[in-house]
Amino acid sequence: MSADVRLEDVWIRFGDFIAAREINIHIQGGEFFTILGPSGCGKTTLLRAVSGFLTPSEGNVLIGGTNMAGIGPNKRPTALIFQNLALFPLMTIWENITFSLEVRGASKQERRNRAEELLELIALPGQGEKMVNELSGGQKQRVAIARALCAEPEVLLLDEPLSALDLKLRQHMRTELRSIQRQVGITFIYITHDQGEALTMSDNVAVMREGVVEQISDGNSIYDEPDTAFVASFVGENNRFDGKVSSVSDGIATVDTAEGTIKARLSANTDSRVSAGDDAFVFVRPEAIQFVNGTAADNRMNTKVYHEEFEGHFWQIFLDIEKSQKRIKMSYVNDGATRVHSRGAELAIGFPAQSAIALPQGALAAE
Amino acid sequence: MIAERLQKYLVIGFVVLFFVYLFGPLIVMGITAFNTSAFPRMSPWDCFTAEWFDVLMQDARLMTGLRNSVFIGLGVVALAVPIGLAGALVLMQARPRIRPWYYTITIAPILVPGVVLGISTLLFWDRVGLLLGMGVDSIFYNGVFLTIVGQATFISAYTMLIFIARLQRFDPVLEEAALDLGASHVQAFRKVLLPFLKPAIGSAAVLAFLASFENYNTTIFTIVQSSTLTTVLASKVRYGIDPSISALAVTIVIITLVGAVMYEISQRRQARKEKAQQAVARGELKSMTKQRSFFAEPAFIMSALIVFAGLGIVYFAGTIGVDECKAIVKAEKQAQIKLRVERRQQKAMFERTAEQIGAEQPDQEDVQDEEKVKAKGTEGYEGIFAPQNLQEQAGDSGVEEEKVKAKGTEGYEGIFAPENLQDQSGSNQ
Amino acid sequence: MVSYWKNFFLKNGTAVALFLIISVGVWLFMMIILPQLFMLDFSIRANVPPPKFGTEEHYYTLEHYKYMLFGSAQASGTFNIIDLTVFFRTIAAAIFVTLIDLALCYPIAYYLAHVAIGGWSRLMVLSLIVPFWVNEILRAFAFKIIFGSTGVINNVLIAVGVLDSPYDFIRNDIALWAGLSYAFILLMIFPIYNAVESLDKNQIEAARDLGSSWLRIHWRIVVPHAKPGISSGCTMVFMLTAGALAAPQILGGPSSLWFTQIIYQGFNQAGNWARGSAYAIILLISCIVLVLVIMKIFKVRFGEMMK
Ligand SMILES: Nc1ncnc2c1ncn2[C@@H]1O[C@H](COP(=O)(O)OP(=O)(O)O)[C@@H](O)[C@H]1O
Ligand SMILES: [Mg+2]
Repeated sequence: MSADVRLEDVWIRFGDFIAAREINIHIQGGEFFTILGPSGCGKTTLLRAVSGFLTPSEGNVLIGGTNMAGIGPNKRPTALIFQNLALFPLMTIWENITFSLEVRGASKQERRNRAEELLELIALPGQGEKMVNELSGGQKQRVAIARALCAEPEVLLLDEPLSALDLKLRQHMRTELRSIQRQVGITFIYITHDQGEALTMSDNVAVMREGVVEQISDGNSIYDEPDTAFVASFVGENNRFDGKVSSVSDGIATVDTAEGTIKARLSANTDSRVSAGDDAFVFVRPEAIQFVNGTAADNRMNTKVYHEEFEGHFWQIFLDIEKSQKRIKMSYVNDGATRVHSRGAELAIGFPAQSAIALPQGALAAE
Repeated sequence: MIAERLQKYLVIGFVVLFFVYLFGPLIVMGITAFNTSAFPRMSPWDCFTAEWFDVLMQDARLMTGLRNSVFIGLGVVALAVPIGLAGALVLMQARPRIRPWYYTITIAPILVPGVVLGISTLLFWDRVGLLLGMGVDSIFYNGVFLTIVGQATFISAYTMLIFIARLQRFDPVLEEAALDLGASHVQAFRKVLLPFLKPAIGSAAVLAFLASFENYNTTIFTIVQSSTLTTVLASKVRYGIDPSISALAVTIVIITLVGAVMYEISQRRQARKEKAQQAVARGELKSMTKQRSFFAEPAFIMSALIVFAGLGIVYFAGTIGVDECKAIVKAEKQAQIKLRVERRQQKAMFERTAEQIGAEQPDQEDVQDEEKVKAKGTEGYEGIFAPQNLQEQAGDSGVEEEKVKAKGTEGYEGIFAPENLQDQSGSNQ
Repeated sequence: MVSYWKNFFLKNGTAVALFLIISVGVWLFMMIILPQLFMLDFSIRANVPPPKFGTEEHYYTLEHYKYMLFGSAQASGTFNIIDLTVFFRTIAAAIFVTLIDLALCYPIAYYLAHVAIGGWSRLMVLSLIVPFWVNEILRAFAFKIIFGSTGVINNVLIAVGVLDSPYDFIRNDIALWAGLSYAFILLMIFPIYNAVESLDKNQIEAARDLGSSWLRIHWRIVVPHAKPGISSGCTMVFMLTAGALAAPQILGGPSSLWFTQIIYQGFNQAGNWARGSAYAIILLISCIVLVLVIMKIFKVRFGEMMK
């Protein structure tokens, strides 16, 4: 069973401080939905409003079509996996997992059977008698998931559950989480500040900044079609050029910057298109930048190599643009041919207008 | 180099002196419990005995006091532990602006002199009884009730401090997790918070009981007609001292020592367990090995054996040969007295022959007195202070100082004062 | 305010919230605040037997406080020298005892925390608890035994030849000083020990490395760090000593009454509860004021002290 979750015009205030501002999100049943944003932007706050630990100052939370106002966390069909897991240290693993059955008064036999099933699911069979602090970090993580699943929630809420794990384990758990979600088929709302996690696991991603949802769409669109300058710079790496739009034609904006005139396409979203005379940012991904050898190209610039890094399957080069001394980053696939660039070497680069996007400066203007 | 070594010795000397100061009095008192001498003393040593423990057990007043003390102690535990727990939980939730005030008011009873707490409790419930029109036989005038309430006032602050310390290590998210999994608030409290607080509840109960058990300042005002171990003890000690009190002290010290050893053992067990768990988590250990039961710990067995062996030795050594030894000591003393009497008589004879004046009468009296004193159970000059203590009870503070001074000049003669003798015999009963 | 209570009930659940409110309410009002206020009220009324409470004769008056200053009405114009002397001597003695304990305990606490080695130090700390749980009366009793005229100390001094007849330690208040310093010494040592122990050993070593003398290390590093512990120890020892009753009753020489003894007499012999209450209030307030003044001078806050 899975339920859809709907946030309607939700505002959350702490005194004068606004932690969430006019939030509208609709999450389909069975979806893996991620809320992505820098730390402190209000993700946890939003999740607590869904789980019932916090009442929104304004607006409604609907789960499965039912308005949750006045319904406490212990009565909602949600289960939360806490940022620090919050496993009960004084209980054994199986007692932890079946706590939700215990409070409903299930018999011990029933609880033990269910615990064993769930231990199978999280690949810890027969480990029910251990205490919490006899487990490694990854195992604890999985127990927390089993405990939440045992409550048979319609919506599982996960608050940065992987942040405490080391890199390898984190990547492993990503796949595992995704496969558990497919297996149980319930709605997952997943919170993270790590864009890698967001992009690899989710059906849909909401990007938040300072209590505001900037964009909601699937991972690809977030990366390729950012609606705002914040999303463009927060998700993935991007080179940013600051300038003013001189003209727009055929979906291509011409932007005057300190680095010269840059041509960039407009956003697919009509709300975030720039027009002549606007201040704008042009974003170009490092992998979109190409070497140009004499031949004419869009957005051509002369640069000097500052520094080069070898990352295995690709190279990263930091370049100083001759005209303005702005430092940009480009990356290219390691195709086997060694092309070592020494510091100070002159390089001409360019990028097609279709790979660059011009966006209104929005909230980033002041920076 | 030399200076440094000297400094080191000085420091060690200081530490040793400090511990002598700390334990010396208790050790001396402990030793006096085993001397047959009716006045608790270490030297001269008469005979080794355990009879003072019997005297202790047969002291009806003391035993009544002990029973009351235990009852009051349990009452205080029943009152102070929940109050301290609630106090700590409320502190955690209090608004930041109220918190310092709340904290100050709840902690204040620790610093308020016990005397003041006792008086205010007494007065308050007296007035409450009066307002409700209850008679003097109602609970508001009952010494045991008043004492429980009076002691719980400040003991609750102690227990609150214990709970605060423990709660500071509690992750409130755990409670939220329980709620999130469907637990009601009461279930979350009972199944998550209380188990976490269990060790603190244990410590708080023990502390509350001990603090109640040894309290005097508050109790002396609230106990009214009843008595506790400490009030009985205090009146005994003020009016005269005998080694059965030392025997009581020995008993208490031994119980405390055993408690301290047990506590240490359980602490070490806990530490060992945690270490093993971490090893399991790191994968260095396959699984937890089962810990042996507490009573099978070598340290526990050792200390139990030592205590039993000690008790056994004391018991046998104390019962076997005491009477012979006492007889010998008595004979020796009598011999000494006889010698002294003879000497005096000889001296008197010389003087008589010299001055032709009869001086035998007073000497005789002297000897009789000395024996009388011994029979009554005091020896030495300690008794001189008893009459003044009595005075202090009876007199108004203003006049008293004068009186005391007047008495004081009498010096050692005081031991032969009749009140004193009565007083001594009274407390020995 | 209303929303705060609503939230309180929501957060704890009704049953737990009721338990909290009732327990804390009873404690705060029925055990701490109201009894003190009643005592204050009692102390500013005439001394009448209980049946007349609340009647005309139970009028408000400051006579008991005046009595403390001037003695009975007949002897007006002169001060109540006896009670005032006892009062000031008690306060001065309590300060003196506090200072003795501080001087004894600071080095020991430092030694236990930073000099003594592992298991040995733990054992010593544990052993400190033993005398603490032997009750106050027995502790005083022990001092009565050792300071008696045939007590260990006199015997030793005579055997060594320092004295030729027993010295009266009790009459000269030496037993009282020793006993009082002993009575609450652990309340001095534990707070200081806890405070000193939390000091990072590296700080001491760093200071030493920079060529600081031991005296300076203590003055500039250890003492400032341990200040909350020191003040909490001093406060407790001072308050408890000033409020002590058992030790002065048992060890007090004939000429040295303690202020609590006068209060006690007011209740038990003189039967003047009102005056007893007034004196209790005087003791309470003067102790608190003194502690607050000293805390102000040494710039410690109550909150950080009571940890
Ligand atoms: N109970 C609270 N009272 C006041 N401010 C809060 C409270 N909880 C969170 N905040 C503030 O709301 C903002 C968002 O916090 P949070 O949702 O925890 O961020 P994150 O996105 O890192 O999870 C932060 O600035 C935080 O300081
Ligand atoms: Mg968060």
